[in-house]
Amino acid sequence: MPKRILQTTGLLAALLAMLWVGCADGDEVDFNHDIRPILNERCVVCHGGIKRQGDLSLLFRVDAMQPAESGKQAVVPGNPGTSELLRRVSHHDPDERMPQEGPPLNAEEISKFRRWIAQGAPWADHWAYVSPTEPERPAVSDPAWPRNGLDYFILARLDQENLAPSPRADCPTLVRRVSLDLIGLPPTPEQVASVCDDSSSARYETFVDSLLASPRYGERWAAMWLDLARYADSKGYEKDIPRTIWRFRDWVIDAFNQDMPFDQFTIEQLAGDLLPDPTEAQLIATAFHRNTMTNTEGGTDDEEFRVAAVIDRVNTTWEVWQGTSFACTQCHGHPYDPFRHEDYYASFAFFNNTADWDQDNERPTLPLFPEGNEAEGLALLDEIEAIEKRMIEIASTPEMEEARRAWEGQLDDPQVVGKVLGTRQNEVRRIAQTPEAERDDAQRAHIRYIYAEIVEDEQMDALRQERRAKQIALRDIKPILTPVMKEVPPTQRRTTHVFERGNFLLRTEAVEPGVPASMPPLPDDAPRNRLGLSQWLVSPDHPLTARVMVNRFWEQLFGIGIVETLEDFGTRGLPPSHPELLDWLALQFMHEHQWSVKALLKQIVTSATYQQASSVTPEVLERDPRNRLLARGPRFRLAAEQIRDQALAVSGLLSDEMFGPSVMPPQPPGLWQNPYSGARWQTSDGQDRYRRGLYTYWRRTVPYPSMVTFDSPSREFCVSRRVRTNTPLQALVTLNDPAFVEAAQALARRMLDETAIGDDPVPVEDWLTTGYKLALARDPSAETLFPLRTLYDEAAQHYASSPDDAAAMTGQSTNPELAALTVVANAILNLDGFVMKE
Amino acid sequence: MHECHNYTTMHSRRDFLSRLGMGLGGAALATLLNPGLVSGAAGPIAGDDRIKGILKRTHFVPKVKRVIYLFQSGGPSQMELFDYKPLLDTMHGEELPDSVRKGQRLTSMTGFQNSLPLARSIFPFVQHGQSGAWVSDLLPYTARIVDELCLIKSMHTEAINHDPAITFFQTGSQIAGRPSIGSWLSYGLGSDNENLPAFVVLITKDKGGQPLYSRLWGNGFLPSLHQGVQFRSGKDPVLYLNNPDGVSAGSRRKMLDRLNDLHTLQHEALGDPEIESRIAQYEMAYRMQTSVPEVMDLSDEPDYIFDLYGNAAREPGTYAANCLLARRLAERDVKFIQLYHQGWDHHGGLPGGIRQQCKETDQASAALVLDLKQRGMLDDTLVIWGGEFGRTNYCQGRLTADDYGRDHHPRCFTIWMTGGGVKKGFSYGETDEFGYNVVRDPVHVHNFQATLMYLLGIDHERLTFKHQGRRFRLTDVHGEVVEAVLA
Repeated sequence: MPKRILQTTGLLAALLAMLWVGCADGDEVDFNHDIRPILNERCVVCHGGIKRQGDLSLLFRVDAMQPAESGKQAVVPGNPGTSELLRRVSHHDPDERMPQEGPPLNAEEISKFRRWIAQGAPWADHWAYVSPTEPERPAVSDPAWPRNGLDYFILARLDQENLAPSPRADCPTLVRRVSLDLIGLPPTPEQVASVCDDSSSARYETFVDSLLASPRYGERWAAMWLDLARYADSKGYEKDIPRTIWRFRDWVIDAFNQDMPFDQFTIEQLAGDLLPDPTEAQLIATAFHRNTMTNTEGGTDDEEFRVAAVIDRVNTTWEVWQGTSFACTQCHGHPYDPFRHEDYYASFAFFNNTADWDQDNERPTLPLFPEGNEAEGLALLDEIEAIEKRMIEIASTPEMEEARRAWEGQLDDPQVVGKVLGTRQNEVRRIAQTPEAERDDAQRAHIRYIYAEIVEDEQMDALRQERRAKQIALRDIKPILTPVMKEVPPTQRRTTHVFERGNFLLRTEAVEPGVPASMPPLPDDAPRNRLGLSQWLVSPDHPLTARVMVNRFWEQLFGIGIVETLEDFGTRGLPPSHPELLDWLALQFMHEHQWSVKALLKQIVTSATYQQASSVTPEVLERDPRNRLLARGPRFRLAAEQIRDQALAVSGLLSDEMFGPSVMPPQPPGLWQNPYSGARWQTSDGQDRYRRGLYTYWRRTVPYPSMVTFDSPSREFCVSRRVRTNTPLQALVTLNDPAFVEAAQALARRMLDETAIGDDPVPVEDWLTTGYKLALARDPSAETLFPLRTLYDEAAQHYASSPDDAAAMTGQSTNPELAALTVVANAILNLDGFVMKE
Repeated sequence: MHECHNYTTMHSRRDFLSRLGMGLGGAALATLLNPGLVSGAAGPIAGDDRIKGILKRTHFVPKVKRVIYLFQSGGPSQMELFDYKPLLDTMHGEELPDSVRKGQRLTSMTGFQNSLPLARSIFPFVQHGQSGAWVSDLLPYTARIVDELCLIKSMHTEAINHDPAITFFQTGSQIAGRPSIGSWLSYGLGSDNENLPAFVVLITKDKGGQPLYSRLWGNGFLPSLHQGVQFRSGKDPVLYLNNPDGVSAGSRRKMLDRLNDLHTLQHEALGDPEIESRIAQYEMAYRMQTSVPEVMDLSDEPDYIFDLYGNAAREPGTYAANCLLARRLAERDVKFIQLYHQGWDHHGGLPGGIRQQCKETDQASAALVLDLKQRGMLDDTLVIWGGEFGRTNYCQGRLTADDYGRDHHPRCFTIWMTGGGVKKGFSYGETDEFGYNVVRDPVHVHNFQATLMYLLGIDHERLTFKHQGRRFRLTDVHGEVVEAVLA
């Protein structure tokens, strides 16, 4: 371990030591390296954030230094002799000895504790909660190899391991790789030729720029973001009825294409509505958090599922931007990381004052009116708002208030409460049971609103009728209503309480919006709302956001993150393979690139590391089976959307239509069982059958089958990382799914049509070469052509004698050559090299 | 596990080809359907953790090898089937006393009724078998096997609406996101069959009623190979199982042979073990094209079997046919066979509705138990019958002489189990004389799940999966094995 690093970045060094040195010896004990792992593994299960047996927690230093229930102090800094912890772990009596579960600590572990306490029991934060500092560029064995800064970190590590990087990938392979990575589609043979005719770096870089400028780029990266946003076209529970929220998907595509800086991207999605004079796009952006599920089942409790949606917003925000398993703290203190139970509800408070409340109509929504109807539509909206305001005014008169109080007293009568819409009854009863003086503003406003909706009163009746007429007129205009976030007015704010054990019915102390004490504080001038929270997330000294994000992009390109657990940077996540590189990239992203995702991606794909060949020798495979060290280029299976898009692209079927409502390409009949919602899969016509995968209609309870088979999530909740599997069901999709068979048919036609007529009267090899090249971006070797030729010959022979089979295979003509080429195309679309990025 | 390690290391081409020539025996197939052996770069956590998550051996001696779960979706009424309440006969039409309800909240579907009249079962009850269990006239076939059954009359759940309730039963959480029971078992125990998935789902076709959601057999945060595979009646029993038109089995074989040649070449050039795995997946897919239609083809079943299950079993996709299919899957050692039969949600028109439901399910449910028994398979199979909650003792809607409805009721309901390791001719738990609350030996859903796991040899607290830094399990942080029902 070089001394230099120890001096500059102590925490990182500790981590490196943990990774590389194995077991530290000598006098100096490092908390993160030597002590925390023992605490996490052996102690905090009973003495942590969940259980505090004997009133002792070892999660925070302050707790460990306090007298426990026994009156004894577990850790007395500088004094091993009086530290109860040491006495108990080394006790000879098994009844007294800790830990009570499992084997006793070994001599080395006990010695570490003794030395650590003797040294004053210094505590240290987990690396991820400490802001990154600029690491020094490491020395490398071959200064000619790095193409940019990141390569130094990779090569230095390879040097340590006595491994050499791989040579640069051959040009066609690299062109295919970078094209699939940046736009999610394979290159055309013409593109390959234009880059590879002259394989200078300049051509490659120009090609990278063209990919980054392509509208396809935004579609590819939106697909990644939509998993995090849990975007779907349905509401998720029970009947799972449709939701119209595709304008958010289009916003994401646009944002990536415009290279919206990531800090702005963050702020607009979390708090676009709180920006001064928000644009329509900024309001649409907030639909990010309206992708939570809505429960439309009869007899549910709206407040219960409103709270469930807020919880999901908290968990999603912390997972997406912080890579933190904050959800643990919903019910209790975090078992391992420095977050307290109250911290959860301080976060909850940021999200607890939006106007949505699990209503079927998804209000609040942003309307988009058909052209020509805008004025009428907006007028109707204003009128409806005015009527509702008037209703509340009337409901607030002393007489009405008096009547309401009387009504509240009768809510136990089923006939009285029965007038209230079913899903609202429980909350109304709960409010009525709360003495008026103890109600918060939201509860006061809510019960007044409910009363205004049901009270039998001539004036109110007239207003409600008038409103109904206007609502019908509005509906008839058919606006597109996108659910968005909107804060309730100041007079209707909810007070946030800590929920005992996470149960929304058990409210305890009230809390204000805030961030955990273990993190940097909110800036003084930041508002205490979602806007302030989002500004805090992207503030320059924030330790997590930039690291978490560069790690996500890295994982998309290399198949595995620098921190493999994208979703957990905490003490229980996996440590980074290249901690200094992670910090360096995070700082580059924030400062050098000013949060430009395109600049970050360009930096990575133009590195020498990225451009390595992905072939592997048995020796290297044994040393590094999962390619953590990156002595070779990435090779892994494409994502579900990419597998579909690529097949459509190489067969020439792919539509380049962008945006708009989601489409329904063919799927097997009978998948949508809808006893009473009436929703149907109505197979799209024309080009809409061949749109990119991200435009496919996403119904949460019945996701598109071929996508799910290739590991795409249901989008019921945020997913950071699709775990790639390799199953027989995947083979069945690419072999037999009519969409892939249709692609094979189209590819076969291209093989015939796009092969130049040469001297050979039956240019079979040329056809095969054309097809292979369209699919894999490179020429097949003679060795590869041989099995393809055999396959062709066998098939052609069969189809020459079976015209019916030939017609079925081609989908049109009985031409045995075309039928045989379709079989070959089907095989090509099933090649490992086709479904893999190489 | 050792196989997995060896398998990811390189072999010479000769080794490789000879293994292919052997038809991809043990090692390859182990990686196909055997859970956890997620190849290559995949993997829930890092390499080591991935393997640690899989049980090398069960925690206890397993009592059963497989489970058939006959899920009755919608909430069957315990009042009309198993939980006989003579008091309701005498108090028919009278109000549910407040002393019984104890102010517990109702669903908002009946919360507005100005009257909550108690409703008796119009179906008479008779005691059956040595055990003398009360079973109503609706279930004549089940009544005959009652001495095989372990009835649990004191089930209770936390959820009051269908979606959260059924999600809770099948994943241990009311909120979406957790793996289902079958996927936990696939992850923990793997597959005993080389040609079929470990977890198969069968849904009665064309039934109305509550929707079902793929999350009920989903993998949650486990790798997707653990999700249930739905077998459907009709032309494509597994999605995309059939070759495209114009491709015969013979020509598909030829195509796969050439594909194997190409993959072998590629493997030589690149050395990526993922390619070997891909070859194996294609072979498995090919085998499924034979094994799935074979298991679903009931034409080799003798007439007496159809007599046993009922004539409806001759029609693919019916509950009866699915029960018979479940037995065939069990014979092939599919680990978890999940049936769903919708339509038990009788808010109104209960007598007519439940009569029809019982007609569709009673004979076949009982037949399955008898059939397993006559084959000696009931000793190592667990069969479960039940829904997501029960129904109220009071009437929803209008109570007339011969018609009434019942609302959702989470506080008590009845399920039954039978098979290895479970007491037979036994009834556990008791509800009050109104059939409203449990008064003895309550069994929470998590306890039921813990018991199910126990019978398979699994300690429900120790089959865990680390996700977002936390070790998750089917029973969340709850659950105790119900030892009283164990034989």
